[in-house]
Amino acid sequence: MIPSRRDLLKALAGAPMLFAPQRPAAVTTVNGVVFGVETFSFHDLPPAGDLQLIPTIVKNLQTLGIAECEIMSGHIEPFASVMTGWWVQSRRSPDFARLREEARQWRLTVPMTYYRDIQRRFEDAGLRIYLYNVNFNETFTDAERDRTFEAARELGAEGFSSSTVLSESRRLVPFVQKHKMFVAMHNHNNLADPDQFATPASFETALAMSPLFYVTLDIGHFTAGNNDAVAFIRQHHDRIINIHVRDRKRNNGPNRPFGQGDTPIADVLRLIRDNRYPIRCYLEYEYGSFRPAVDEVKTCFDYCRRVLAS
Amino acid sequence: MTAMVGLKRVRWYVFLAAVVPIFTIGLGLDARQERDAGGFKAPTAALERGRAVYVLNHCHFCHGVDLTRATMGAANLSQSPFVGTDEDGNMIGPLVKAGLPNLQTAMPSYMELTSEEIVDLARYIHFLRQQARFRELSRLADSPAGDRTAGEAYFNGAANCRSCHSVTGDLAGIGLKYDTPKLRERLLRPGPTMPSEGVSPTAGQAAHLKLLENYTAANVQDLIAYLGASR
Repeated sequence: MIPSRRDLLKALAGAPMLFAPQRPAAVTTVNGVVFGVETFSFHDLPPAGDLQLIPTIVKNLQTLGIAECEIMSGHIEPFASVMTGWWVQSRRSPDFARLREEARQWRLTVPMTYYRDIQRRFEDAGLRIYLYNVNFNETFTDAERDRTFEAARELGAEGFSSSTVLSESRRLVPFVQKHKMFVAMHNHNNLADPDQFATPASFETALAMSPLFYVTLDIGHFTAGNNDAVAFIRQHHDRIINIHVRDRKRNNGPNRPFGQGDTPIADVLRLIRDNRYPIRCYLEYEYGSFRPAVDEVKTCFDYCRRVLAS
Repeated sequence: MTAMVGLKRVRWYVFLAAVVPIFTIGLGLDARQERDAGGFKAPTAALERGRAVYVLNHCHFCHGVDLTRATMGAANLSQSPFVGTDEDGNMIGPLVKAGLPNLQTAMPSYMELTSEEIVDLARYIHFLRQQARFRELSRLADSPAGDRTAGEAYFNGAANCRSCHSVTGDLAGIGLKYDTPKLRERLLRPGPTMPSEGVSPTAGQAAHLKLLENYTAANVQDLIAYLGASR
């Protein structure tokens, strides 16, 4: 059947622009401060592997007017992130060994065009995956670590943000050197386990392991662990890739709407603005709400804009 | 011809429109319920207060809006024996207030919750558990059948059914009265399908709801084998 003129136009509109000149990477700035979104913020996304997952993330970023993101591996790979071994509790499941092996085999065999297609979808929408969020852990094989670095490159990411641990960081040293790609360690606030990233000392131990190790400082978790985010940024600004902007109460307190917790969001944003630190600020929405996630991320972004305007 | 196809389609949609709500009400999933980012709106004002505590303290991000899709290594509260022992927050409250700071990704401490909020939260969690357990257990297959002896032991022992019921008294011949699917449904939910505004469950209904939260699949199959033999 000969396609109609309308069909032809539709097909052309949906096709990748093979001959278009490469666009410069989009950047969203507010008074000189670069903003992005950690895709964990979008709590109401379709499940892993759903064909609408990536289009929904793209649409959400466009709605927000934010050009770049740190994308979770669970939003790229077609299986739940519990299958990748990060949460020690999830490893106790009787099905874990089988599910983990399935995830491993997928990673080792998926063609790299899978990742490149996702990168193009972002690029075609004027967006960018700046960081690939993969939680490296002891259940990864070396072959899997290699493939994950290759995947990040195909996604167009500059490097990784990773909720990893110190013992795994040591294993990652030869991989960052081989692939010439950085890993930024992300903290939580477990102060009892010395292998976790939760204190200035834990970050400093990792930073000494490799010049390609950096920090994704989650200022909310850092505050919940009773640390001083402003002091840490002043001291280590040249090794911080991005911060996760959220507001938590001290003493392992809960997440709160921006401005209602103990996290010094305003002080941190102004510190970055006034010193022109090249630290990207990634919104992470995790307080509760009855509204859609994208609406709340917008509220978080509006708060940051107001802070930076003053 | 086209008109015939159109008529058949209309009939099919009319059939669906009539059947789907009946089916979903039976499962406790009323299609008419309003939904938002925190799940389905609760059927009573008290439960809706509990839902507000649950959602606004972002419990649902880790434990799921219906308790069954736990993420990030969080406990599946619909299956948790710890939650099953709770009465109006006496177990849940202290844990929620203290948090679990030593977990890999710590559960926050919710020190600021009031006693009233803890009770509302706990009752909402129990309500969600009952909904989730009913959905799960009502889908059990008829075979393999349970163990009649184990059912009798559970009836007279851990479940303490005998404090109100007897297969030679009020339940005599119940195996003749109901087939297996109906017996399972009556066992899981002998009272109203959903709580109603201003209507408190009777002591018996409350006891059945408590049992519903804590049944294992084997408990249900064994009880059905035992009760079904009463002919």
